[in-house]
Amino acid sequence: MPSDKLTESSAGASPVRYAGATKRYPGSAKAAVEELTLEVPAGEICVLVGPSGCGKTTAMRMVNRMVEISEGDILIGDRSVRDRSPAQLRREIGYVIQQVGLFPHRTIAENIVAVPQLLGWKKERAAARGAELLSLIGLDPDLANRYPAQLSGGQQQRVGVARALAADPLVMLMDEPFGAIDPISRERLQNEFLRLQAELRKTVLFVTHDIDEAIKMGDRIAIMREGGKVAQYATPAEVLMDPADEFVEDFVGADRALKRLALMRVADIDLWKAPLAYVGQPTAEVRAKLAEPGVEVPYPLLVDSERRPLGWLSERDLAGEQVPAQPDSPLGPLLDRDDIMRDALADLLQGEAQYAAVVDHEGRIDGVLSVEIISEFLKSPQAKTEEHSAVERPHG
Amino acid sequence: MASATTLAAVGEVGKGFFHERTTQSCQAKPSHLFCWDWAREHIDRYGTPTLQQFELVAISVVLGFTVAFALALLAHRRRWLRPPLLAGTGVLYAVPSVAFFLLLLPITGRGRETAIIALSAYTLQIIYRNVTVGLGNVPESAKDAARGMGMTKRQILWRVELPLAIPEIIGGLRIATVSTVAIATLAVFAHAGGLGTQIYGEANLHFPTSIIIAGGIAMLMALTFDAILLTIQRFSTPWRRVRSS
Repeated sequence: MPSDKLTESSAGASPVRYAGATKRYPGSAKAAVEELTLEVPAGEICVLVGPSGCGKTTAMRMVNRMVEISEGDILIGDRSVRDRSPAQLRREIGYVIQQVGLFPHRTIAENIVAVPQLLGWKKERAAARGAELLSLIGLDPDLANRYPAQLSGGQQQRVGVARALAADPLVMLMDEPFGAIDPISRERLQNEFLRLQAELRKTVLFVTHDIDEAIKMGDRIAIMREGGKVAQYATPAEVLMDPADEFVEDFVGADRALKRLALMRVADIDLWKAPLAYVGQPTAEVRAKLAEPGVEVPYPLLVDSERRPLGWLSERDLAGEQVPAQPDSPLGPLLDRDDIMRDALADLLQGEAQYAAVVDHEGRIDGVLSVEIISEFLKSPQAKTEEHSAVERPHG
Repeated sequence: MASATTLAAVGEVGKGFFHERTTQSCQAKPSHLFCWDWAREHIDRYGTPTLQQFELVAISVVLGFTVAFALALLAHRRRWLRPPLLAGTGVLYAVPSVAFFLLLLPITGRGRETAIIALSAYTLQIIYRNVTVGLGNVPESAKDAARGMGMTKRQILWRVELPLAIPEIIGGLRIATVSTVAIATLAVFAHAGGLGTQIYGEANLHFPTSIIIAGGIAMLMALTFDAILLTIQRFSTPWRRVRSS
């Protein structure tokens, strides 16, 4: 069954190439988008980001000819978008907009299969595809027969994404898809989409004005300035480490070192060694460990026989002969090696902790991350200059 | 119109009418508002006028709807047509109804056709305007999404815009139908029959029972049409019933 799903939902993706694409509106001297040349590799998310009025949405809408190209061309794969009718072209391209635009008079299931319906799929095939997508986006199958008005904003946009994916498009266009959703749901939707994308590998053009979203979502970011000119086209890490010019630097913001935390995982930084204590161990041994050079944590971490953290020991715990089974202080925030660094920092701050235990996939202790480590990293020149190997996209 | 002779004639007809038609109980009080005995005896005379009235309304509304709907779709595509169409249908709506029937008489002659032309003309404004409003209320985002997923203009119209405009369209149809039932009682002036024949009889001035029966049937007809249309509206727009849940 899962293999069937994969064949249905990952039939392919095509690169998108802007070849000197220009949009001129009549009566306006300046082009909205001028000679845009840009290549988005197949299966990658390219974020078009920039201040309002920079032409990013126009540039995106030229791909499905919601905005007609004045000069130049755009190619999907090797085919010009102009060699078929707009309606035909659009059925091959997923389209997600900020206002979602679900059809209020159609059920969720009917909304999702709108494009397959236009393509003349058989009813059973469309229905099966609808059910598959519903589960793919993690929506309760019971919602299939509800109407859009009965869903929350976040749920509606999930359906919007599912509808765009329904006919397995070669390319997805997403115009500020999560812009109208509350911050907490937005974060969840972003993560869900990245998870989906890791599986589906569509070519995605994603428009946003939010640099943080661009950094998070993009394999590549095209930072645009007025007239649809690309100021820099690079990976998020490159944009943060090496802004092409003052415009990009301004747009990215003074806190770009901090933003880099969004691109790192806990495992990418050197952790402190945790002074470990086992239940029943003589306290003298533990005290000796604390005194070792290089141990920065003032308290020992109580772990079980599998080296899974139980809690922090206090002075009082060490007063006896042996390490007690119950630690005096709770564990506090527990971090995973694979946590995004920014989230880890948020956990520390939220837990009002100076440091926290980091565990691996099995839950075994890996080290200790502290606010101090992070702030040292942010101050170090490597935060700004060094090519950090750690910058893997958080796919999967 | 009200010459001495006609008034006298009314009086004569009136007297004859009373003698012929009224039973003992009503005769005692000629100004009696409603005479049950008379109503029981004469109920069969309302069958044909009711049927005529029904036909007048049904045909006129269907005809008016067809024309108004087509005009609204035309105006939906060609914006410049909107002001003249709104003004044109508005002018028709403003013509006093009896005058309309009488003005048409020399052109189309006496009978049902004349009445239907006038009655359909009255429905145009309401239906046209409601269809236009309904199409205008369709959320821009739904239209943008429809276009973006590859629907043609025609598909957007029939699959998205019109279904979403159903509440307003049927709303207009309801108002048009109810008012047509009322105005159709005036079709008697075009000699097109209908319930008006039982209302405008001059004898009824002093004997309102027939007015009450015919008027009651007309009201019942209007309410029935309205209830049917309301039911259709409910069943054709299930998505509107779920909002509150």
